[in-house]
Amino acid sequence: MLFDGYEPIGGTYDELMDVHGQPRAHARRALGVLSKLSAPEFAQYQSLAELSLYNQGVTFSVYSDKQGTEKIFPICLVPRVIAAAEWARVETGLAQRLAALGAFLDDIYGEQRILKAGIVPPDLIMGAKFYLPKVHGLKPPGGVRIPIAGIDLIRGPDGTFLVLEDNVRTPSGVSYVVENRLVTKRIFQNAMEQSAVRPVEQYPSQLAETLRSLSPVDPSDTRIVVLTPGPFNSAYFEHTFLARTMGLDLVEPKDLFVDDDTLFVRTTHGPERVHVVYRRVDDAFLDPEFFRADSLLGVPGLMRAYAAGRVALANAPGNGCADDKAIYPFVPDMIRYYLSETPILAQVDTYVCARPADLAYVVENLGHLVVKAVDEAGGYGMLMGPQASTKERDEFRQRLRAEPRRYIAQNRIELSTCPTWDPRKGALGPRRVDLRPFILTRPSGSWVLPGGLTRVALVEGSYVVNSSQGGGSKDTWVQKEDAA
Amino acid sequence: MISRVAEQCFWFGRYIDRAESTARLLQVTRTLVFDADIPVTQCWRPLVIVSGELPSFVARHGEAAVGNGDIIQRYMTWEPENLVSLRKSISAARESARAIREALSLEAWEEVNELYLWFGREDADRLYRENREHFYRRVRNSAQLILGLVRSTMLHDTPMSFLWLGVMLERVGQTARILDMHHHTMSLETQHQIVEVALWLSLLHACSGHEAFVKKSQGRISAHSVAAFLLFDARFPRSLRYCLRSACRIVGDIWPDGAQRPSRTQLAELSDWLDTQEGAFAPKAIHDLLTRVVDSTTEICSHIGQEILGPPETATTAAQAQTNQ
Repeated sequence: MLFDGYEPIGGTYDELMDVHGQPRAHARRALGVLSKLSAPEFAQYQSLAELSLYNQGVTFSVYSDKQGTEKIFPICLVPRVIAAAEWARVETGLAQRLAALGAFLDDIYGEQRILKAGIVPPDLIMGAKFYLPKVHGLKPPGGVRIPIAGIDLIRGPDGTFLVLEDNVRTPSGVSYVVENRLVTKRIFQNAMEQSAVRPVEQYPSQLAETLRSLSPVDPSDTRIVVLTPGPFNSAYFEHTFLARTMGLDLVEPKDLFVDDDTLFVRTTHGPERVHVVYRRVDDAFLDPEFFRADSLLGVPGLMRAYAAGRVALANAPGNGCADDKAIYPFVPDMIRYYLSETPILAQVDTYVCARPADLAYVVENLGHLVVKAVDEAGGYGMLMGPQASTKERDEFRQRLRAEPRRYIAQNRIELSTCPTWDPRKGALGPRRVDLRPFILTRPSGSWVLPGGLTRVALVEGSYVVNSSQGGGSKDTWVQKEDAA
Repeated sequence: MISRVAEQCFWFGRYIDRAESTARLLQVTRTLVFDADIPVTQCWRPLVIVSGELPSFVARHGEAAVGNGDIIQRYMTWEPENLVSLRKSISAARESARAIREALSLEAWEEVNELYLWFGREDADRLYRENREHFYRRVRNSAQLILGLVRSTMLHDTPMSFLWLGVMLERVGQTARILDMHHHTMSLETQHQIVEVALWLSLLHACSGHEAFVKKSQGRISAHSVAAFLLFDARFPRSLRYCLRSACRIVGDIWPDGAQRPSRTQLAELSDWLDTQEGAFAPKAIHDLLTRVVDSTTEICSHIGQEILGPPETATTAAQAQTNQ
């Protein structure tokens, strides 16, 4: 049957199986149904699921491909199951982290107490690519700078969740969480019922309420739009998904204009005022007046309207200095400094190459380190030391010496694995996974979507889970309560 | 509603109806070749002419090819250089649909996407080679399903109005062009009754109007009665009168205040003018009548395009109108 012969990798935590290859307690109910399938039956379900995503256009566009090719984000139907008690701790830890990151951004664009106190080196902030001195002193309408966050978690060999990276600009991927659930629900209804899985379908309405809570006017008179760069953006499917499931208009920059510090959308009945923008465009392309005069993209005057308190932007411009990878090592300090609490979630030890001592260590030890550019995402600009060739390592060593501020390094963590379908072998094999939970924050507090996007490195032996690098996804089943 | 989205809805409606209409015309013309004792060239050539693509067709395939059903079908189905080929209409419809993804219902989108994906796959090519009739039917069924899903799964609100306005105005053009295909036969007082009847029947089939016509005419077929049916019947959903009146009504729904809008005025004028033609209608004059309808419709579409963009926004008036919101 399906799980016969499945062997976890030694020295690595497996999400569903213990070291003896037996299902973990919390996963037993879910696996009970799945394990009765034969490999060919499962293969059949896999291709059904992929066809259904393809036909629905649940795709992302590939940047490197000029044809505008759309690909599905491959799904593996074996779910990743998370125990209720474990999740409860993750939830609290994420809310705590968001509270600290929010306080940090308010501080950085305000009094900068944390810099004066010597907890975060001022040079790191001033040198951060996404720090925006121009928004200093601006109070964001609605008062929340990170209404939408995605915090990437991994699990080390001992089974502890670790924060790997923060995403507080425009994190993407939530549409796949909801779409994957629709697909698995259709195919594995029994398994889901028996496994008592917490639902994810409420995300769009939670998001709409979060956005509405930022409105500068009465919530019931509020017009919210989703702003996309357009159909050629790699996440365009997600933009349409969010607009559609929230019942909001999806607009492109050219649909908007600013007059008298007020934002309007061009409609068939003339201009209408917009109060909240869920923008899925980068800071640099929001407003050519404010950011770059040479750019034709964006809505001229949008930042004036924002500064005047007449339109709320989610997320706030300038957030990028909080999810800069060189700032990440300081988040536990932020939690202690702003909240006077002990950090609930651990994180990965990090060498900040901007510090001479760290740089020296990293340069000498590239062979067992993972080096990442602080301002890139999607698996770009990184070096997997243990797998890299001598040439690649030499090349990276030069880059590090030339621009130390741009890099950090971490020990390679043996990411946890999850049984994953390997179509070439026609069997399940252990593949490494991470988890991106999504956190929505209103003035009244944070809400965490139960589960999140589990990304999986489909290639045997790979540690890179990004969709742009051959990653796939899994449905994430957070249990309602733990099985006895 | 967002102007850009409205415009894409309008074009989406046009492309889908165009795809259905093109597939139907190709299907019917194939049958006509079998049924009627008329030269093959006379069956196919008019099809290229009414598509408006004769010059570029001749440039690509040569003068001799205008009588060649195979080349014409390939041209009208696959060639991306042909602006009205099925491939072009389907991919343009899908591109519009993607741009208005949040305005369409999931069901309608899925069908558009499936049609587009199928058309790009080997299966479509194989079906085209092995069972042409079935191939055209597959395209038509999808297009009809999409339009049906639009009406049964979307809010009957402004986005659907724009979409349907596109469908109606596309149909005006399609019906007018199809009628025009054989106008020369109408003006000749031919002696060949069987050929004529085959042609009229094929015209009716080409407009999906055969059964509807037979019900109305109780079996009597003449050039006059067929033409009058496709021009003036108030209840046949592809007649010029029906489509123009619907378009007029839809524009009124979209802009209830829009009595002075050029598109609405022109639509009303064209529709009224068509009414005046009914009494003295002579098949001989049909080409001129159709030319006027097609030209006016083109102009109306361009007015609608401008009106969708909304009144020109002088910034201060916009702000004044909205300060209290």
